[in-house]
Amino acid sequence: MNKFISNLIVAAALTVSGTTIVQSADEGTLGKIKERDSLLCTGHNGSYLGFAEVDDKGAWQGFDVEFCRALATAILGSPEKVQFVPISWAQRFPSIQSGDIDVIIKVTGWTMTRDTELGLQFSRPYFIGPFYTMAKTELGAKSISDLEGGVFCVNAGTTVERVLADYMETNGIEYESLSFEKGEELRAALYAGRCDAIAGFGPFLSSTRINAPDPDSLTIIGDVIKLEPEGIVVRQGDDALLDVVNWMVSALLLAEENGITQANVDDVRNNPPSPTVERLLGVTPGAGTRLGLNDDWAYNVIKAVGNYGEIYDRTIGESSRYKLPRGLNNLWTNGGLLYPLVHD
Amino acid sequence: MEATFKERFSLLQWMQRRLFASWFDSAATIVLGFLMVWVVWQSLDWAVFRAIWSLEDRDLCTVDAGACWAVIEDRGRLILFGLYPYEEQWRSTLACLIIVLTIVLSCLPVFWSARRLILLWVIGFGLFVILMRGGIAGLSLVTSEKWGGLSLTIFIFSGVFLIGMPLAVLLALGRRSSLPVIAKVTGLFIDFFRSLPLLAILFSAAVVIPLVVPEWLHGNKLMRVVFAFSLFFAAYQAEIIRAGFQSTSQGQEEAAIALGMPYWSVLLDILLPQAFRNTLPSTINQAVITFKETSIVTVIGFFEIMASGNAAIGTGEWGQQFVEVYVFVALVYFVFVFSLSRYGAWLETHMRVGHG
Repeated sequence: MNKFISNLIVAAALTVSGTTIVQSADEGTLGKIKERDSLLCTGHNGSYLGFAEVDDKGAWQGFDVEFCRALATAILGSPEKVQFVPISWAQRFPSIQSGDIDVIIKVTGWTMTRDTELGLQFSRPYFIGPFYTMAKTELGAKSISDLEGGVFCVNAGTTVERVLADYMETNGIEYESLSFEKGEELRAALYAGRCDAIAGFGPFLSSTRINAPDPDSLTIIGDVIKLEPEGIVVRQGDDALLDVVNWMVSALLLAEENGITQANVDDVRNNPPSPTVERLLGVTPGAGTRLGLNDDWAYNVIKAVGNYGEIYDRTIGESSRYKLPRGLNNLWTNGGLLYPLVHD
Repeated sequence: MEATFKERFSLLQWMQRRLFASWFDSAATIVLGFLMVWVVWQSLDWAVFRAIWSLEDRDLCTVDAGACWAVIEDRGRLILFGLYPYEEQWRSTLACLIIVLTIVLSCLPVFWSARRLILLWVIGFGLFVILMRGGIAGLSLVTSEKWGGLSLTIFIFSGVFLIGMPLAVLLALGRRSSLPVIAKVTGLFIDFFRSLPLLAILFSAAVVIPLVVPEWLHGNKLMRVVFAFSLFFAAYQAEIIRAGFQSTSQGQEEAAIALGMPYWSVLLDILLPQAFRNTLPSTINQAVITFKETSIVTVIGFFEIMASGNAAIGTGEWGQQFVEVYVFVALVYFVFVFSLSRYGAWLETHMRVGHG
């Protein structure tokens, strides 16, 4: 009987270790994605304004969703080769560890705890999440300090509440805080005139403004109360996939910097203006194989989803309902914080 | 003429006795009466008179306007079908109808024999899965990650009921077994699952199991969750059924055994029917609770009707119409739960017949 049990344990150990050996042999998650011919990316359990929404026909739309499509295109050549797994906020880290998803692209802030303790690896920030305040226009406030003594409405128990308190404390601004459990209640209170200002994540403020009975009665104040750099997350040790993610983000930015758009990418590829663009669009052979991709991967990505600016504009920027200003998410040449890496 | 006078007189008398017996009663009646009329009027005013019904009038949906039912016209299919592919949604509709029909049929006494019930459910459930999943007979494959809305809610509910009910009977039998090992183990099992919150059980099934179990044992996430939910349901239902067993007198069982009836016959023909009949109110109660608890799976990323309702309002375009969407989802729940309760009530009176 004892022998039987010990045999069983050995057999179980062999099965488990056997699978890990196989995994390391096919170059980690990147290899798995190619083998499956499909990328498992994060959806949302519901909708998250501007970043992951479901349209009338049940299809995913939004900023994060476009990045999932871009990554699928870079690796597999088609924006269709992605499956969106609906996942809640709490679920995203366990889910990537268990292999339910390959990457997290879900407005996930790059924090030290997540990076060091959860066995995760972050890409360079692909979005700089700004927290702003929005005040009644009639108050004529130009900066947050003009709102001294006012009533600020926030969502209870969220980062926003803490971030606002920190900012006000640091800057010595007195204010009154009124918290609400749900975003909808917060909005209703604002529209009913119970708050002088609200604080929150950029897209949330924009959509709150657009839906107000009179959008012009509310103004987003330019002061950034806090920045949260958002990264794309892979499992610790997925170096090959992380490289692809980082260079994909860089390629989208480089394309914007060089004025390469979805519409003109074919023309540019036929008459590339510089050696960098030649390498980017795969005119120079070998540009993509270093990443384990096809040479024309970046061309495919831009053809499928456009450059960074186009994605932004379409999902949360000027052409969307949210009309969120580019702000810090602009290229460095336009006063933002984003820049492409050196594609040599 | 005389009759109407008499009726009116008795109505007045009734009102005087019941509503206006003392000055305090009168005051309470008037205040509460006004309040009731006011609430009903306000709701009707919002939901019907000032409501905006058509998508063409979408621009009229402002904060001051009444209910904006245009949101249902625009996002209704999303709420009902979730992420299910748009062109294939007829399959989801049909599957939903089939499973509802199966539930309704199995509620009719004609089908109450083990063989008929099993046959009915194998056909009903099989058709449901074939329609939803596809992949054969020219239907395109729709994996369970894309299932959503009402059909997912009903799938989870009926799956839980289907696995949980037989399991509950087994557990209840185990717990009253004369073998101490079986009785203790099942008792421990039941108490274990009753001590854990449903959310923790479902989260473990969806997220933790893949971390600790080798990959070939993972199975499908939806199946894991339905199974875990069934264990939870079975733990509660087993105690209900055990109460049913205890309420039938010991003498019946002893008499049947003395007559030489085999154990299965004693169980199936004497004990179980009485146990079920005696615990019908609690069982219906448990079913209603389970139906509503299916919305917890939102938290682990399933697009059942509550989650798809949230998805419907989670866009800049319809962010303000959350009350309308929640009312719509509540109505869907109401239709199902109310029919379930009415069926329970009907069954109780129906079964009293000949019960002496």
